[in-house]
Amino acid sequence: MLKKYISIMRGAALAALLMCGASLAAQTTATGVINGTLVNKNGISIQFDTDPAGVTLGAAGTSAATANFGTVSAFGPLAAGVTRPSVTAANFTVRTFFDVQVIQGGLTSTTYTLTANLAAAAPTGLNYKVDAITLTTALQTIQINGAYHTDIAHNLDLVILTAAPGAGGPAVNTPITTTINFTATAN
Amino acid sequence: MSCNFKFGGMKALLAIGGLLCVLASNATAQSSSGQLTITMNVQSSITLVFQNNPSVGTPGFCPLTNGGTNNVGLDMGTAAFPGNFHTATCVNYTHLTAADYQVSSAFDVVVTKANSSSPNYRLAAQISTPPPANVKWLLNNVTLTNTGFTALDAADAFGARITKTLQVQVKNTVAAQVLQETITFLATAN
Repeated sequence: MLKKYISIMRGAALAALLMCGASLAAQTTATGVINGTLVNKNGISIQFDTDPAGVTLGAAGTSAATANFGTVSAFGPLAAGVTRPSVTAANFTVRTFFDVQVIQGGLTSTTYTLTANLAAAAPTGLNYKVDAITLTTALQTIQINGAYHTDIAHNLDLVILTAAPGAGGPAVNTPITTTINFTATAN
Repeated sequence: MSCNFKFGGMKALLAIGGLLCVLASNATAQSSSGQLTITMNVQSSITLVFQNNPSVGTPGFCPLTNGGTNNVGLDMGTAAFPGNFHTATCVNYTHLTAADYQVSSAFDVVVTKANSSSPNYRLAAQISTPPPANVKWLLNNVTLTNTGFTALDAADAFGARITKTLQVQVKNTVAAQVLQETITFLATAN
């Protein structure tokens, strides 16, 4: 009887050990899932780049760049990247070039329309032109079929009256700053 | 029944509304804006150019080469004391004394200003090298030197033609040679 009891107990212990082993083996693997989600949004962005023929832009490659013409005059020397295509009795023009690059993603649009306007009225004695289009505070269309993902060069002309300060001409020997807003709209 | 119909109508309205929202969303063109800030400093400036006088070609008004610029040429030909000899028909040739002759030709100086309230300018000139002995270079009877600018005018008007006569006075003792000078004009805004 005792032997039978011992035998039963041994069997039970062995079974318990086997079950424990099986349990340990099950804990060495695990599974899980990640439910990944990405909302691919369409978008468009504009940036200004330095043109090889123009002045070096400040903050080039961004959407808030600066172009410094330096000291300009009807007859004196000009900074690198600035030319003077015309001088008349009434005015002279200084010119530089800058590039606009518009990037899009997720759109079926193949081209964009570029518009521009002055952030504030032009200072006395000055006119600003982009690609020969005189800018005002109202939106003006500069380009209707701009290609994406490439630098597109634009002329920036400053037409400066030759009149003396106080007689219709601009202030002299003082920095004059003007901001031009550009908007690229997907066609 | 009536309640079910109303509920169905609401669903339809919501669906149409949602569709319109999606359409409206797609219809809005994508755009992006940027700002380019322009800075410059306007400076007053003046420029000087030489022009042919309207009487160019007649005696006393030889044509300039490269007229209309600030770097011109003025060829007065060949001249000699004996016999009032001179090859250029556009010069004025005169014997000043029994031993000197003068060849002269006039041209215009135009000084233009921009972005300046200066009322006028002063004009001066200087020759580049000391002339040979007994040779003088003059402008409107003012003898020029190579040691400094000689004042010609105190208050010339901007934009106006200022006629200047270049004179070369040569004594008859001067050996045959080419007489040449580069004359620098200096206009200064008053």
